[in-house]
Amino acid sequence: MPIDWVAQGAFIALIGLGAGLWLLARGMAGYRDATRIGDTATSRIGTLAAGEVQVSGVIEPAELTLVSPLRSTTCVYYRASIGDEEDRPDVGDAVAVFGGADFREERAVGFRVRDASGDIRVFPRGARWDAPLVLDDSTGLMGDEPPGLRLRTGPAVAGTGLSREAAIAALLASPTAPSDFRALSILAGSAAGPLGGGDRRRHYREAVLAPGDAVTIMGRAMPFGDLTDPAEADFAIGSDVAADDPEVMGDIAEARQAGLLEATPEEAWGNAAIPGFGIGQPTRAPELVAGANALPIASATEAAATERRFAIAPETLVLASAPGVPLLVAHGMPTAAVDRQQTRFLVGLLGAVLAIGSAVALALMLTGVAS
Amino acid sequence: MTPQTLAAAFAVGLVVAIAVFLLVTSYNAVMALRQRIDKAWSNIDVVLKQRYDQLPALVSAVRGLMAFEQNVLTDVARARANYSPTEPIPDQGVHAEEMSRAVRSLFAVVEAYPQVRSDANVLALQKEIERLESMIADRRELYNDQVYRYNARITTLPTLLIAPLFGWRERPFFAAQAEETARPATDL
Repeated sequence: MPIDWVAQGAFIALIGLGAGLWLLARGMAGYRDATRIGDTATSRIGTLAAGEVQVSGVIEPAELTLVSPLRSTTCVYYRASIGDEEDRPDVGDAVAVFGGADFREERAVGFRVRDASGDIRVFPRGARWDAPLVLDDSTGLMGDEPPGLRLRTGPAVAGTGLSREAAIAALLASPTAPSDFRALSILAGSAAGPLGGGDRRRHYREAVLAPGDAVTIMGRAMPFGDLTDPAEADFAIGSDVAADDPEVMGDIAEARQAGLLEATPEEAWGNAAIPGFGIGQPTRAPELVAGANALPIASATEAAATERRFAIAPETLVLASAPGVPLLVAHGMPTAAVDRQQTRFLVGLLGAVLAIGSAVALALMLTGVAS
Repeated sequence: MTPQTLAAAFAVGLVVAIAVFLLVTSYNAVMALRQRIDKAWSNIDVVLKQRYDQLPALVSAVRGLMAFEQNVLTDVARARANYSPTEPIPDQGVHAEEMSRAVRSLFAVVEAYPQVRSDANVLALQKEIERLESMIADRRELYNDQVYRYNARITTLPTLLIAPLFGWRERPFFAAQAEETARPATDL
């Protein structure tokens, strides 16, 4: 056997070995999740007891929503990546690992989940997500963009106070990019023309969980007052360093001692501390500079709805991660989530077969070289 | 050691690792299930206790206004006296259902007394006990669902293989009485 064929074969066998072991590890994680979801009875939200629970219902936005970067979908969670076509992993499903991406972003905001008996607020910090891919496509050979691509042209965060008419208008309107908008377009290669990015083809992936989606959530139901840091717990972006981290706490204490921090949110944020200010109608009159147009104040009903969104009573049960009970948010009803994880386990077992086959092939090639 | 031996050792090691993973995961899953069942039962017990504590107040509130319905009140008092948190779960299920039935009868009778029905104190107590009844029903369903999952797990592979080693046995349901599940008599 020529030595260069052996080297190539050994290289492919090593890749098979690595891929097989990776699939197996991923399958084992899926089996654990399937066991966890399948072994927990689903509680009704209206009669939820504190402790580890599983609930299933429909996502409702809380105070804020996100706008996904690749499809401009209004959502509460997204994970998006833009990478080279050749970096695309062969095993594509809802939680495939995005490898070799030039742009990668994952974000979540707090939301509510509702079933027939009531609703509960979810604080997503530290959550693991099992969200479906809504975009998994590449640029064409001629550089044409995939049809589902609709790059975000505005801020990543939006309020939830849209009226029905405004929501319909936003849904029907095509986003228009501001003249200075470049970042995502450049990453996507579209700024340089159809074939502008050279001969690189781009692969786009985006997974989202949007209002109206059915989800199954496992986590700890606890009184809102027991959350150590509600503001931090409400976002899942980038670093997981929370405000109760000893180093962060030390920095905060030092800043407070030096008089750099205000004592109350009202002092620190001014009008922004008024519920509804800036993202709807404020619940009380803000302090405006002379000559500024007065803002309409929310009616009693609107104010109550806004206060309900922003103010959670300390004894109200919320869902969050806790030590030993990580929050798991999976798309679909429990049976669908379990089925997905079990499929992943079966694929993992096939990965084990692939790894063993690759190891045997590698061994045979090495024996051939030695003899 | 030849490459073939290494490959064979790798294959055997991987299969053993998968088997150990399945056994350890199954063991942990059963332990977690047992904890969830205990917790689900505790959550029922809390509400049963709350109902037990609330009933005397309701009976006192209606006693003076329903002088001719003493037997209904006696049934409630008797059912309440049967409650014992140390009983086996199936017995507690039976007694909890007796108490629920007695309370439902009491509420049905209260409907016939406008002066009782309009009493603010009675209304508040009735609302609270109805809330507790609803919670008991929901949590009983949750408990039974959890017991079902546990029983199913220890009687199916791969957990079935290790269940006798650890003495895992099926857990009882918090069942309704036979008469509740019997087909209702109809006279059309």
